[in-house]
Amino acid sequence: MAEDPLPDPPHKGEGDRRESTVWLTDPTYPWLLKQIHDPPPRLFVRGRLPPVPMIAIVGSRRATPYGCRAAHRLARDLSDAGVVVVSGLARGIDAAAHRGALEGGTPTVAVMATGLDRIYPPEHGELATGIAASGALITEAEEGTLPLPGRFPVRNRIISGLSLGVVVVEAAERSGALITARMAAEQGREVFCVPGSIENPLAIGGHRLIKDGAKLVQTVEDVLDEFADLAHARARAHARTHARTRTRTRADSGPQDPELFAVWELLDWVEPRHHDDLAVMMNLDSKEVSRRLTLLEMSGYIIGDCGAVTRRARD
Amino acid sequence: MLARALCGTVFGLDGVRVEVEADIADGLPGFHIVGLGDRALQEARERVKIAINNSGFEFPGRRVTVNLAPAQLPKEGTGFDLAIAAAVVNAALDRRLPSDAAWLGELALDGAVRPIRGTLAITAHLDRLGVRRFYVPSANVAEARIATAAPVLGVDHLRDLKAHWEDGAPLTEAARAAADVVSPVSILIDLADVRGQPHAKRALEVAAAGAHHLLLVGPPGAGKTLLARALPGILPGLTQQEAVEVTSIASCVGMLPPGAGLLEVPPFRAPHHTISPAALVGGGGAAPRPGEVTRAHRGVLFMDEITEFRRDALESLRQPLEEGKLAVARTRGHAVLPGRFILVAAANPCPCGFAGDPKRFCECTPLERQRYRARLSGPIRDRIDLQVTVPRQAAGELLRAEVVAENSATVRDRVIQARARQHARRPQGPLNGALSGTQLRKDAALDANSQVLLETAADRLQLSGRAVHRVLRVARTIADLDHRPQIEQSHVAEALQYRESG
Repeated sequence: MAEDPLPDPPHKGEGDRRESTVWLTDPTYPWLLKQIHDPPPRLFVRGRLPPVPMIAIVGSRRATPYGCRAAHRLARDLSDAGVVVVSGLARGIDAAAHRGALEGGTPTVAVMATGLDRIYPPEHGELATGIAASGALITEAEEGTLPLPGRFPVRNRIISGLSLGVVVVEAAERSGALITARMAAEQGREVFCVPGSIENPLAIGGHRLIKDGAKLVQTVEDVLDEFADLAHARARAHARTHARTRTRTRADSGPQDPELFAVWELLDWVEPRHHDDLAVMMNLDSKEVSRRLTLLEMSGYIIGDCGAVTRRARD
Repeated sequence: MLARALCGTVFGLDGVRVEVEADIADGLPGFHIVGLGDRALQEARERVKIAINNSGFEFPGRRVTVNLAPAQLPKEGTGFDLAIAAAVVNAALDRRLPSDAAWLGELALDGAVRPIRGTLAITAHLDRLGVRRFYVPSANVAEARIATAAPVLGVDHLRDLKAHWEDGAPLTEAARAAADVVSPVSILIDLADVRGQPHAKRALEVAAAGAHHLLLVGPPGAGKTLLARALPGILPGLTQQEAVEVTSIASCVGMLPPGAGLLEVPPFRAPHHTISPAALVGGGGAAPRPGEVTRAHRGVLFMDEITEFRRDALESLRQPLEEGKLAVARTRGHAVLPGRFILVAAANPCPCGFAGDPKRFCECTPLERQRYRARLSGPIRDRIDLQVTVPRQAAGELLRAEVVAENSATVRDRVIQARARQHARRPQGPLNGALSGTQLRKDAALDANSQVLLETAADRLQLSGRAVHRVLRVARTIADLDHRPQIEQSHVAEALQYRESG
């Protein structure tokens, strides 16, 4: 990926809605995508295709909170390191990845199965606008194309085709994310997987990928290490990780206050635990549990959601 | 020959004096009732005529005209029967009835006197107007006695009045002993009978102490209904004045059991989600009629599956939630009905009911969840200070012996003390649950630590101004339960756990 910065594609409009059509023969056509055996003859682009290395993050639409957190964090770290995160604008993992990437310093790219005028799912309209503001929405489908089931697997070859590698976060046994991973392998791209709980049905597909040789990913460095060309990004990620080390060890060892520690100790990183369970386990009355949970939450040790709490994952 | 008999009716929830005039004149035999009566009143002609003939009297075979004054007031119901009979019989006998006596009751064809609605309200009104003797159906004696110190005579049958009317014999208060019926004790759920759920139980306690509205969120079968039903049992008993209000409302809508006296337990109403706005907040026909909101006055209004209620029904709750009363306007006049209650709402976390459940998978899309939540509009949410998640109980949990289960009486004692602190601070009310922003600034002063905590929370959780007010109101109540004049950090910390969550 030692390419020169590319000239801007021809613009049709202004602002977020600037749209263009990129043909296979255009110099702006993504070079990596050109290498696959069935590249789309033309791409409709809203925004601007960033000319930097891309990594895809894909996964289940019905992701668990753990999966969303993992995707969010990995995308943000990749983006911070200067890598463009590619995903499919779907619910669940895709959205978490786009949102995480938007928090980082690099644009993100969403590959859609529908026409540019039909954002699917509809509730991601705002997210799509955010993506197009700095990065791009791209599709090979003409305007007005509906979200038909058959279009999604076809779209997935573009996601993997654009990317150096594909990271799978939570994929059920037969899922679009696994299709993307298979295509990535066929296209000669790297396949990565963030592991999940062995009890989680959404982790089965990803775990099979690991058994078949996909690389297990814990941190952004596990991804970047695979690409010699990304030494620069790796260095940036490394520096940022070290900057966080101090806060990380603090958060890992729990709160100082023994009363708060006693609660924190009973909590899990992944499985939420309800308020009532804590009251029973600690033999405390509800108001005391409430007090401690709020103090833990406000100092960033735990995350509360619908009366159930989990430990806050390392940042 | 003319005779007059006093009686009364109910408009909205207020008693109204009605005078029945009966005139017997020469002419073709006939019986006419004038004075804006509804259908039930027109049918009184048949009831009264037959009841008189079946009770040892003879209905006059001449032209009988009955007028109900004030004639422009629309009159509903069957409570005028006894007064009409009294006026007709005495007109026929050419006797005058005492002008300070009132006659209330519906007649059966055999002359028996049946109970009526609104006895309490009518008696109270007539008592203020100087009526000194009340003849009421035996089943209504107990409630009539609540409203007046004057003699209340239970009448079982029109026949009992024969000697009194024909010979002027005094009517004894013989019915008194039989009428002193004790109010039925409603069957309440004791908190000790609710297994587990310490978080929700504590929220109930806070709701009771500060009269905060409460939202219980949980999957089907988590026990939300049981928890709601336990709330009346931890509310302080009704004061004398409140009990009179509640009893009078129950009487007017016909919910008071026959023979019952003062109701001392706060009411519990649980309307079904298909209810119409008129049935919920009041309205109905030509005259204003109280709805569920008024029936729940001074008690608990439980709305299970609140997101399934009709949108217009939910929105109609805004005025009572805001003001504790509501104005109902109808073609035949308008009335202000009381409606100060604690709202306990229950909802599933999402359409399928399993969001947030660690054991089950939620099938809903975020959009569905968002739409589902949006069915409870902002203005309604703003009035709900407390929200708790009620998790599904594992079967093993239900079978396990309870370690510490407080009963309702213990909790109620704490609630009573917390209310006493609120009354000491604001003798004229309101309770904490209805404090406005200005009142909060005065009553809910924070110490330095709690100030910092609340600011951190507002920042981290992106709390709106209204949400901060909700936290403050709840923290004020928690401090009252804790016997603290000032809100401390632990109170704010606990209050934050009852906030609205996604």
